[in-house]
Amino acid sequence: MTLTKLVVKNITRRPGRFVFTLLGIVIGIASFVTFLSLGGNLKREIHRESAALGANLVVTPKGSCAYEQVSILTGEQLPTTITMDEVAKIRAVKGIFAVPFLTEKTAITNRPVAVAGILPGEMKKFKAWEITEGDYFSGENEPGVVLGSVASSQFSLKPGSFVTVRGERLPVKGVLKETGGRDDVTIFLPLSVAQRIYKAGGHVSFVAVRVSDVALIDDTIEKIKETVSLGVVSDKQMLKSVLSIVGTVNITLQLIAAVAILAAAFGIVNTMMTATYERKREIGILQAMGAKQQTIFGIFVLESGFYGFLGGLAGAVAGMLFSTLASPYINQNAFTTFLKGSGTGAVIDLRVMAGSVLFAVLVAVLAGLYPAWRAARLSPVEAISYE
Amino acid sequence: MNNSIIKTRDITKVYNGSSVQTQALRGASIDLPRGSFTAIVGPSGHGKSTLMHIIGGLDRPTEGTVFINEQELSRMDNAGLAKLRSERIGFVFQFFNLLQNLTAAENVETAMLFAKVPEKEQGKRARALLEAVGLADKADAKPGQLSGGQQQRVAIARALANDPDILLMDEPTGNLDSAAEAGVLELLRSLHQKGKTLVVVTHNAEIARKAEQVITIRDGRVL
Repeated sequence: MTLTKLVVKNITRRPGRFVFTLLGIVIGIASFVTFLSLGGNLKREIHRESAALGANLVVTPKGSCAYEQVSILTGEQLPTTITMDEVAKIRAVKGIFAVPFLTEKTAITNRPVAVAGILPGEMKKFKAWEITEGDYFSGENEPGVVLGSVASSQFSLKPGSFVTVRGERLPVKGVLKETGGRDDVTIFLPLSVAQRIYKAGGHVSFVAVRVSDVALIDDTIEKIKETVSLGVVSDKQMLKSVLSIVGTVNITLQLIAAVAILAAAFGIVNTMMTATYERKREIGILQAMGAKQQTIFGIFVLESGFYGFLGGLAGAVAGMLFSTLASPYINQNAFTTFLKGSGTGAVIDLRVMAGSVLFAVLVAVLAGLYPAWRAARLSPVEAISYE
Repeated sequence: MNNSIIKTRDITKVYNGSSVQTQALRGASIDLPRGSFTAIVGPSGHGKSTLMHIIGGLDRPTEGTVFINEQELSRMDNAGLAKLRSERIGFVFQFFNLLQNLTAAENVETAMLFAKVPEKEQGKRARALLEAVGLADKADAKPGQLSGGQQQRVAIARALANDPDILLMDEPTGNLDSAAEAGVLELLRSLHQKGKTLVVVTHNAEIARKAEQVITIRDGRVL
């Protein structure tokens, strides 16, 4: 006999109570892990999208806040207030490569799709795109679309088929090679065509800028600000502000999960308190056999720790499974759209799992301290005479 | 008595209830020689079990001193008393007090766990003890699958788990039929022959007759 064996036999002697107490912890930890893992994926996707944008600086309408910066990364609709005149002035600044974007939305078979108006020739160079099927735009004003690889397969659109954007039927010219970023789920139109369709004549949403010498980023920001009265943000600043919003959302979700875990902890307290009452006589028997007070205390703490370990393990696995299975079905909005990424799904993070199990054990052990103390302080005679 | 393994001097025990004070022992002094077989008899509620609990370190006297092997129990802390119980004293109770979720062998092994006997050794010793009490084939049975007599024999095997000098028994035959009682009495006789010190709290005249020494307690006093 070992303490561990004794503990396992104790907690499994009432299977119903064991399962329901465990379920409390499983649900709490599963929701915690789900939120943590979704949050982790969100951050990873944001980093990936930021890299996929391929810009050191982004020029946005003056007064843009973090929400607009998130939208740049997600391909959401943005106000179109930057004029082509301003775009030309930005592009005239030395040592930079600047490309304008007009970001809009359309719906194909009732599903929202990101639309981007671009300067075809420049954008191909800026993004180093490759074509896997069909052709690329042959001119700057050619009415037609080029699709990201996921958009193409999602809507079964191939070169030769047609897509309707805001009531205008446009031929599919080609499909881009997978990039791993938002481009894969976007429909690209020549800027002039997009401006006409979306009635954004002479305006764009933002300008992505790549600086040839990264050391000159700060100087370049100043230069652009002197040239045009627009907001300029570096990719690092943008990441920082986007991540801070995501962080706030994550913390809120995790706090909700923490409440679930707290409720589960009280479930453990309840189970262990009941056990100390039910097993009062048994505690006396153990004391008569020579169990010290700290041994009795240890047995009860171990029992609640076991609940934490088993519940934490099952909860972490359930949470990971849920976040992996659920993420593709979460509705798109500025934040959750990242979860879809380019179809890579959630990543199983072993550190999150291990941390959650440890957290569950810690919570369970804390929950077991009071019942264990009650059990340990019973006098042997009082306990053994209990009927 | 120089050869005393158990010695008490002027023990009193007062229980403070919420409204009443109960004096369970009033100056009880006894000397029990090593290897003796003592029966403690007397009416119910007159302090027999209290005296046994105090001798076994399960309870502390309000006043007076207790010596086990010349060690004074009042000088020991709770951990010291627990160690004494695990190594030197075996308890047997009227209602067997086996752990219901464990098998017979596991019940015996659990007693060894607290004396830090290695797990492998526990298994061997538990089987040997169960064989000694005639229950070799019941090692894997749970208490609920055993008769009263068999349960009491498991309890005796458990009390012997750490080879204690002293066996303290509270009405060991109080809940048994006559056939089972005869089996337990035989077991007590053989344990006595092996040199164990037996102290049996009992109402059973047969046990009292077999004992070398009979101590009568009435109103908390040794007569």
